[in-house]
Amino acid sequence: MELFSELAEKVENGQHKEVMTLVEKGIAENISVSEMLNKGLVAGMNSIGIKFRNNEVFVPEVLMAARAMKAGLAILKPVLLREKVASKGKIVLGTVKGDLHDIGKNIVCYMLQGAGFDVIDVGIDVPKETFIDAAKAEGAQIIALSSLLTTTMVYMQEVMNALHASDLNDTVKVIVGGAPVTQAYANEIGAHGYAADASTAVDVVRGLLGR
Amino acid sequence: MNGKERIKAALSIHEPDRVPLYIHGINEAPIIGIGRHITDGLPDPKEFREMNDRDKGKLLDTLFLIHEHFSIDGFTSFEIGHEENVDAEHVADDWGVVYTRSIHGLPVATGHPVRDPGDIDSFTPPRPNRAHLLLLDLGRERFKGEKALFWLMRGAFVRSWRLMGMENLMIQMYDNPEFVHRVVRMVTDYSLEQLDMLVDAGLDVLVVEDDIADRHSPLISPRQFREFIKPYNMELVEKAHRMGLKAVAHSDGNLWPLLDTMIETGYDGLNPLEPQAGMDLKKLKEYCGARLCLIGNIDCVELLPNGTPEEVDEAVRQAITDAAEGGGYIVCDSNSLHPGVNPLNCIAMFEAAKKYGIRNV
Repeated sequence: MELFSELAEKVENGQHKEVMTLVEKGIAENISVSEMLNKGLVAGMNSIGIKFRNNEVFVPEVLMAARAMKAGLAILKPVLLREKVASKGKIVLGTVKGDLHDIGKNIVCYMLQGAGFDVIDVGIDVPKETFIDAAKAEGAQIIALSSLLTTTMVYMQEVMNALHASDLNDTVKVIVGGAPVTQAYANEIGAHGYAADASTAVDVVRGLLGR
Repeated sequence: MNGKERIKAALSIHEPDRVPLYIHGINEAPIIGIGRHITDGLPDPKEFREMNDRDKGKLLDTLFLIHEHFSIDGFTSFEIGHEENVDAEHVADDWGVVYTRSIHGLPVATGHPVRDPGDIDSFTPPRPNRAHLLLLDLGRERFKGEKALFWLMRGAFVRSWRLMGMENLMIQMYDNPEFVHRVVRMVTDYSLEQLDMLVDAGLDVLVVEDDIADRHSPLISPRQFREFIKPYNMELVEKAHRMGLKAVAHSDGNLWPLLDTMIETGYDGLNPLEPQAGMDLKKLKEYCGARLCLIGNIDCVELLPNGTPEEVDEAVRQAITDAAEGGGYIVCDSNSLHPGVNPLNCIAMFEAAKKYGIRNV
C-alpha cells in the first residue's frame, strides 16, 4: 500500500510532521495500525539503520529519523494498546555504572524502538541493581548494556553476576556493545549477544527473541 | 636542531635531523610512573586537584623533567583556572557548561546553557583570560625556546556541542541552521581573541582539538562538516598562519571521509591517527604525501598498556619506516598517555624514536 511506503520514506527522511499527518490519516481510514507500524515506521528505521551502518548517513540523520518515528509511534501507541497488538519484546537498556556517555546508547534505543520493541531506557551511570529491578518490574526479556570506556566495560561482568544471582537468570538475556566491547569480551563474560553497531543490535535482539 | 626546530621542520614537511617526538596528552599516573625512573619523591598517583601544593609542584616539575630527560620535542599546554566546582560531582567552566566528574577519565559535559535560539539572545560569552595561560607561561620559562610550545584549543564542533548538547546540535543543524551558525560564530570569535594572547605568550603550534568521529565514522556528515565546522576552524588556522604559527588538527576516530576537507582547511598536521579507527599510517602517508604532517598512531589502546617494550620498539620502527620519509611524521601515541599505559612501554617509545629516528640527513 502506498501509505506504508510513504510513511517509511518520511521516517527515513526525518519528516516528523508529515509522519504524524500520515499516521492520523491512516487511523481515520481504518488502516491496520500494526501494518502502519511494521511496514511504515519500522521499515523506515530499518532502512536508515542500514545506511548508517554503511556510512551513507550519519548520526544527525538517524536522530531526525528517530524523532519522526517516535512522533508516529506516539499516535499509534494508544491504538495498538486498545487493539491489544502484542509487543515484540521488552528491553531494559542503559550505560553501565561509572560511564556517563549516552549518545551511542540513545541511538541503539531509537533503532530498537524503531524496530517495534518496547525499550525501557534506564539512562547512564546505571548500577547493576537498577538493571535487574527494571527487568523484573517491566517483565523484560533482554537487558542491553553499553559502555564507551575500557575501564567501565568491566562492570558488565558485575551485571552478569547480579543476573545469575537473581531469579531472572533463566528468563532474561543480556546483550552488550560500545566502543571497547568485542565478541570475545561478550563470550568471556557469558553475555548472550554482542552488537558492533546499532542496526546489528536490532538483528541480535530479533535473533535472541526468535522474531 | 633543537626540539622546536625539529617540530617546525616536520610540520613544514622538511626532514629534520631526527624524527621528532611529542606527547599530546598525559595523565597524572603515567607522569608519576615514568617519572619514578628519573626522579625521587613522587606522590602516589591521584588526581591533580586532590594533591597538596607540594605534590602539585613535584608533578609539574616531573612533567618538565620527562620532556628534558627523554628529549621530547614539543610541550603541550592548555587552559587552566577556567573551571569552578559546583559540588562534589560537578564542575562548571566559564561558559556555564556543567561537567560531571568521572573516576574513569575526563569530566563529561552534561549541562548545556545554550539549547535554543532564545538562550543565545540572553547569553553573554566569557572573554579570554590571560591568567588561564599559566601552563604555557611555565613551559616557555622552563624550556626557553628549546622545545615547541603546543596549545590545545577546543574547536568549533566541541565548543558548540558542549554549549548546546550534542544531540540537540545535530537536530538544530536541520531545524535551525542559522542558530547553529550563531553559536559556532560566537565560540570562534572567542578562540580568535584567545589566539592573540597565545601568540603574545610565545606559542609555536596551535592544536585545534575538535573530536568529531568515532571508530566507525565521523559523527556528522561530510556536508555538515563543510557547512558548520570547516569555515570556522579555517579562520583559526589562517590566523595562526598569519601570525607565524603552525596549526594541527586533533580528532579521534575514523577521519577518512573528512580528510580532503581537513587538508583544504590548511592544517599543517593531523593527530592522533587511531589505528583501531582505520587510520593506517602507511595508507595515510600515501594519500596525504607532503600535504599533511602525520602525528601519532603508536597504539595506546592495546600496545602501550599490554604490549612489551620490544613490541613498542618494533611499532615505532615500523611507523618511522612507513611515514617519516621526506619529513612529515612526528612520533606520538594514538590518543594520550592515559592511566592504563605501562610506563616502561612509554619509555620504550621515547627511546625507539631516537634510535630509529636519525635518518642520516
